[in-house]
Amino acid sequence: MEETGGDGFDAESPSVTRMSDGYDFSELKVLVVDDSFHMRELVRTFLEGFGIKDVDVAPDAVEAMEMLPEKDPDLIITDWNMSPISGLDFVNQVRNGVESVPNRFVPIIMLTGYTEMKRVEEARDAGINAFVAKPISAGSLYKRLVSAVQDKRKYVESDAGYFGPDRRSPKRSDFKGQERRK
Amino acid sequence: MADARFIQPDRHPSQKVRPGGPSMEAAILSAVNAADDLIGQYQGWAVDDLEKLWQAFIETSQKGRADPVRLQELYDMTHEARGQGGSFGFPLISVVGDSLCKYLDGLHRLKARDLDVIKVHILAMKAIFRQELKGQQGGLTKELHQLLGLFRQKVEARR
Repeated sequence: MEETGGDGFDAESPSVTRMSDGYDFSELKVLVVDDSFHMRELVRTFLEGFGIKDVDVAPDAVEAMEMLPEKDPDLIITDWNMSPISGLDFVNQVRNGVESVPNRFVPIIMLTGYTEMKRVEEARDAGINAFVAKPISAGSLYKRLVSAVQDKRKYVESDAGYFGPDRRSPKRSDFKGQERRK
Repeated sequence: MADARFIQPDRHPSQKVRPGGPSMEAAILSAVNAADDLIGQYQGWAVDDLEKLWQAFIETSQKGRADPVRLQELYDMTHEARGQGGSFGFPLISVVGDSLCKYLDGLHRLKARDLDVIKVHILAMKAIFRQELKGQQGGLTKELHQLLGLFRQKVEARR
């Protein structure tokens, strides 16, 4: 295994705080992708209520892909069940780094009513960072937002075709035994 | 074993987030207040969406059968209702929608009994809106969840 890193972020960044201490999210740029007008407006309104000033919305993944080069968001929140491209295919396109994608490492939160284990694994394999199960609340979205800010996992690019967040538990990062994951 | 490279991204959202914002409670309260109007409008358009689901069900009933495309349509409409109900203050809609999604999931064709089950679920959602049953309604959300689970079990056992 090879480990690479650019300038990276400081894992002990002073900007990270406890959830209860409160965050200033005002500089974040977020893109919300959902084919339901009402759901994406609800998510946008919640995010703006948290203090995020730059929230863009897209009604489908095609438009979202077109917006990415200009908007270059710090975080994407996407629905799963959309057409003509599903949320899962959208995640694949971002993670595979098609030409128009400015940041294939962008954290992606999937917003979905699909909560069956099979579906969760499918989304995880596509490279999402986190799930928010519908129905959503301001509380559940806030907690996921904070998790995305606090989650400093590395990303993995595997010859088996996976690209996305390291799925190993951080508690086991010092594991010295035989690597059985393929 | 497949080879893998571990990469530390140059960019991370934490670089743009600072401490000192409102507390979690204040941020959530602010978000809930901001969404008040939107949540207030939900029932109006959700009733329209439910009517579309009802019409799709009526057409299916009249044909007496449903192809996979129509079944998927029914599932998708129910799935939307399930996700939206609780998000907009009607968790009972999510409970009934969730039950119908579970029933429809993996169904390849419809029998008369299946039509009855679908009908009961849609009528229940209509009643919830008609009676404006917002919020958890005491223990009703939990009780309804359990009752619908038993109902599905009973019907599925007789398939």
